[in-house]
Amino acid sequence: MNELAARAQPQGPGAELGFPLPAPLCLLSLLLPSPSLAAPISPAEPISQAYSLALYMQKNTSTLLQTYLQYQGSPFSDPGFSAPELQLSSLPSAAVSFKTWHALEDRERLSRAQRAFLALTQHLQLVGDDQIDLNPGSPVLLAQLGVARLRAQGLLGNVAAIMNALGLPIPPEEDTLGLVPFGASTFERKCRGYVVTREYGHWTDRAVRDLALLKAKYPV
Amino acid sequence: MDISLCWRQPSGMVGSKRMRMPANFRWLVATFVLLYLLNQVNSQKKGTRDLKCTTNNLQVWDCSWKAPLGTGRGTIYKVCIEDRPRSCHQLEKTNIKIPALSPGDHEITINSLHDSESSISTFMLNEKNVSLIPDTPEILNLSADFSTSTLYLKWNDKGSVFPHHSNIIWEVKVLRKDSMELVELVTYNTTLNGRDIVHHWSWASDMPLECATHHVRIRCYIDSLHFSGLKEWSDWSPVKNISWTSDSQTKVFPQDNIILVGSDITFCCISQEKVLLAQIGSKNCPLIHLDGENVAIKIHNISVSENSGTNVIFTTEDYIYGTVIFAGYPPDVPQKLNCETHDLEEIVCTWNPGRPTALVGPRSTNYNLFESFSGKYVRFKNAEVPTNESYRVLFKMIPNQEIYNFTLSGHNPLGQSESTILINITERVSPHTPTSFRVKDINSNAVTLSWHLSGSFAKINLLCQIKINKANSGQELRNITIKGVENSSYRVAVDKLNPYTMYTFRIRCSSETYWKWSKWSNEKQHLTTEATPSKGPDTWREWSSDGKNLIIYWKPLPINDANGKILSYNVSCSSVEETQSLSEIPDPQHKAEIRLDKNDYIISVVAKNSVGSSPPSKIASMEIPNDDLRVEQVVGMGKRILLTWHPDPNMTCDYVIKWCNSSQFEPCLMDWKKVPSNSTEAIIESDQFRPGIRYNFFLYGCRNQGYQLLRSIIGYIEELAPIVAPNFTVEDTTADSILVKWEDIPVEELRGFLRGYLFYFEKGEKDASQMRGLESGHSDIKVKNITDISQKTLRIADLQGKTSYHLVLRAYTDGGLGPEKSMFVVTNENSVGLIIAILIPVAVAVLIGVVTSLLCYRKREWIKETFYPDIPNPENCKALQFQKSVCEGSSALKTLEMNPCTPNNVEVLETRSTLPKIEDTEIISPVAERPVDSSDVEPENHVVVSYCPPIIEEEIPNPAVDEPGGTSQVIYIDVQSMYQPQAKPEEDQEMDPIVSAGYKPQMRLPINSTVEESAAEDDIDKTAGYRPQANVNTWKLVSPDSPRSTDSNSEIVSFGSPCSINSRQFLIPPKDEDSAKSSGGGWSFSNFFQNKPND
Repeated sequence: MNELAARAQPQGPGAELGFPLPAPLCLLSLLLPSPSLAAPISPAEPISQAYSLALYMQKNTSTLLQTYLQYQGSPFSDPGFSAPELQLSSLPSAAVSFKTWHALEDRERLSRAQRAFLALTQHLQLVGDDQIDLNPGSPVLLAQLGVARLRAQGLLGNVAAIMNALGLPIPPEEDTLGLVPFGASTFERKCRGYVVTREYGHWTDRAVRDLALLKAKYPV
Repeated sequence: MDISLCWRQPSGMVGSKRMRMPANFRWLVATFVLLYLLNQVNSQKKGTRDLKCTTNNLQVWDCSWKAPLGTGRGTIYKVCIEDRPRSCHQLEKTNIKIPALSPGDHEITINSLHDSESSISTFMLNEKNVSLIPDTPEILNLSADFSTSTLYLKWNDKGSVFPHHSNIIWEVKVLRKDSMELVELVTYNTTLNGRDIVHHWSWASDMPLECATHHVRIRCYIDSLHFSGLKEWSDWSPVKNISWTSDSQTKVFPQDNIILVGSDITFCCISQEKVLLAQIGSKNCPLIHLDGENVAIKIHNISVSENSGTNVIFTTEDYIYGTVIFAGYPPDVPQKLNCETHDLEEIVCTWNPGRPTALVGPRSTNYNLFESFSGKYVRFKNAEVPTNESYRVLFKMIPNQEIYNFTLSGHNPLGQSESTILINITERVSPHTPTSFRVKDINSNAVTLSWHLSGSFAKINLLCQIKINKANSGQELRNITIKGVENSSYRVAVDKLNPYTMYTFRIRCSSETYWKWSKWSNEKQHLTTEATPSKGPDTWREWSSDGKNLIIYWKPLPINDANGKILSYNVSCSSVEETQSLSEIPDPQHKAEIRLDKNDYIISVVAKNSVGSSPPSKIASMEIPNDDLRVEQVVGMGKRILLTWHPDPNMTCDYVIKWCNSSQFEPCLMDWKKVPSNSTEAIIESDQFRPGIRYNFFLYGCRNQGYQLLRSIIGYIEELAPIVAPNFTVEDTTADSILVKWEDIPVEELRGFLRGYLFYFEKGEKDASQMRGLESGHSDIKVKNITDISQKTLRIADLQGKTSYHLVLRAYTDGGLGPEKSMFVVTNENSVGLIIAILIPVAVAVLIGVVTSLLCYRKREWIKETFYPDIPNPENCKALQFQKSVCEGSSALKTLEMNPCTPNNVEVLETRSTLPKIEDTEIISPVAERPVDSSDVEPENHVVVSYCPPIIEEEIPNPAVDEPGGTSQVIYIDVQSMYQPQAKPEEDQEMDPIVSAGYKPQMRLPINSTVEESAAEDDIDKTAGYRPQANVNTWKLVSPDSPRSTDSNSEIVSFGSPCSINSRQFLIPPKDEDSAKSSGGGWSFSNFFQNKPND
């Protein structure tokens, strides 16, 4: 766990390149699903890859949230801060009743994850831009946001590969953010970042469960 | 006002009276007022009342009055101004506008006609009684800038209706909330100048305008100098208000404000729900309730924010609303602003931002560097991250401009600051580090240094500094000034260098008008080329021991003189006739031997390196004899030896001191030293010198033809104590003297100049003397100090015969005493003395014997009389014959038989020690020991004849274990009872106590014990017989050394009092009971304790 967390650090855009560890290389391969996966031969391999990546992401989501809150000042940075009432209309919530979730078909399940992570990548980019203004002197936070965005993109690619393997139509990429309120106040930006980093964690948790389910369904 | 208006009545003198009223007659005034009021009541019944005039423009007076009582509509008033022609107006209303009257009193009559009744009222009207009340102002516009919480007010002063220039005072009232709480009341002064002017006024609210409705009203007051009447405030204008129409449900204000640290600020929250909590950061704030559910909080003295700002959050039942405030500082004055150039192409300005502003990102400080002469500027966007490091900006130099006036200004949302600097850039040159630094040889004493320096220095001179480090030597700095060039290389020659020397060069440059040095260039090592050796080697010569060969020595040239690597030496010996030479002697060899037939040669030695040969160094071979030569001694100081001599004018060239270790064989040479001929002393110093080693020094003087040995000196750097003792033997021994002889100590072991010997002797055996040292203070030790070092024998006289003597000999130098050598010698026996010692006592004894015999013979009668007198026979005594019948049965009836009688004595027959140990220790009772040692001790009941256990052995510690050293025995002798010397102990022990009734000891010693006493009485009954005539109860047992037994059963009682009883007691050890029959001498009564150690 610690080792992975430690290795996760240098993978960001600001990290040193050429870090000779197997983890980044492994991640790189996960981020870039090979074109051969496009052929609907066996969904097990892309599911396994996506599951590994989701598991790996899951280990860093709480760190991202904590780092993010730490830089937003009190009361965000106060221990135990939580504001579940804050939501973003442009970001689908990961919360779902278990019954509904369990009854989802593969297509619906995967396309929801697809939509969510697409929205997350765009929102993480937005949050990163917001934080450049607010916390320009905090490369750690900016790097972690960048890394999270890259991973969300990676998972997006993996989910697409699964859908491809399962012969499911891939939903078209859409602009989930829509008209971004550029005039958002600093407080709104902070809250927005909080919701995005929080939902990133929730969606990653949900993706792990989704993929575990699929993994069991499509054994190697 | 009413009071000030007066009109003339028949009795109407009140008004004029009142106006002239002296101040101190107030009571009078009160009286008049009362009368006046009464009058008025009367008059009201008749005519018009209360004429009041006002004006709003000083041109028209508006006068009004009250109708007479009882009249109503239809009354016609005729108003006349008496002092004006055609000035009567008839009208039905109760007011009239009249043109302003001139100053002074004017009489006004109002004739009221009502129902054919008329009444006339007369008023005196004066400008002073007229009030100036401006028209109520009207707010043209009230607007708000919500972002800055500022209200903007616009109104018209309507100055056109007012003919005169006047000051006008406006009063603006700002009210907040629906309840119209007054928050601000300000006055605003303007002037009226006959034209309508629209005025603007703005007001910044401490509370965001969004959160509550703000109302504004104004009124005015014309302060006209031309008007002497009353001036009054106008009425308040109608209210105008500002409220915020929200485009969303809830908002917090202000948003994203940037304020100065320490300011006060109010936040408010427009909410439809109840706000539960408001906090800034994590600190809760008290809520200020506004209209509806809106609330506000007021923050005093806000503290500095972190980078992302300070969060202000309002929490409702199910949501949080918030805003962020950035509290920071305006930019500090740029500190340490400094501008310089490295290359005269660009100016580098650096500064320190000073106090951090706590504002980052888009709120951070932007700097602008403005040059006033050229009007050019460069911008510096603040680094995203605020740091304490210097900021730096580049300014392209303007051609042909040397003087620059820079103004650096920093500005952020909270303010700006600036600092300026005026420089002549040619005096602010700090060149780059010189690069491509190279060294080239010119000759053996000079090199060329070249380097590259980027920069347009064509217009200035450069000052460069060369650091020259010589191997194994100090460093040297040389400054040079060179003409600057455009981005090119520079070259300079460095001379005065030593040949064949490793140098390290570095260079740095500055402008000639020094500002700053550049950094040092890389260092370059360079070895200068060789040159011919500057002088010949230092030379000396020695004749070999056989005197046929001359050995020539020379020293390697010092590096300063060698000027290169010495490859070889050439040696030549030349005389008038011939020249011998040895050439190409390779360098490590510094000695050559030449066979010479004659004495008189000149030897020259030349050193050669790759460049050439040194000048020859010459030395004459001849040794001039010196007959007057003494060997002197010298001791060094520290590590040096100082030699001095008298100047000798004959010595023309120089002096040479050579030295060697004295133990070395010829030719003796360790080193030599040449000193000039005018010197008279030399300090010889060498690392080879060791303390305790003898060196020979030879001083030679140089004459034309050769060297003469002037002095020969032996010396030590430091004297040490000898390391061996002199070897000595005993040559001769008599009964009273010993002759000792010793040998010299070898020079190597002496380690200093011998100063003498110390000889110790004392009586002593070999073993005993080892115990003590030979301290000179010891009384038995005799010391002889032999300072004559040539003395090698010593006779020690006045000794005792046949006695062992311990002899010790030590040598000493100034360095200390050497070790000692000792010997034991026994003097011879003195035979004559022995014979005499035997003969004299024998002779004396014989003589005494003879004299005694003679005397005894002469006085034999007297002796007999004295010692053996005749004893009369009692049988021959007639007086005793009357008992014949009684004594018939006995053949030898005798009255008194004079048997040999044993004297009454107690004698100690044997003791274990000659020293009785007297201790006041408590001795364990022998009785107490008995159960343990019962086998050794007599039975308890043998009291009567218990003369026997006077000595009790006690093993105090542990009777069972007989460990050596672990036990001790106490033996004491006790007198317990009397006994008859005739009685045998063995028999007594066997005797029954009753049987033993007969002679009893004449004393019993009952100790303070009733039990004992009763027991004793029993015994007494049993042993009724002879009794002691003394009452021993009165005796005190005082002897400190008597063992006291407290055991009640003990029959063994000891006492320590001398007893005068005519009886005798024997203290006898139990082992020698049989020998107790010995007839002891006198009364001896004591107790002995003896600690007898087992070992």
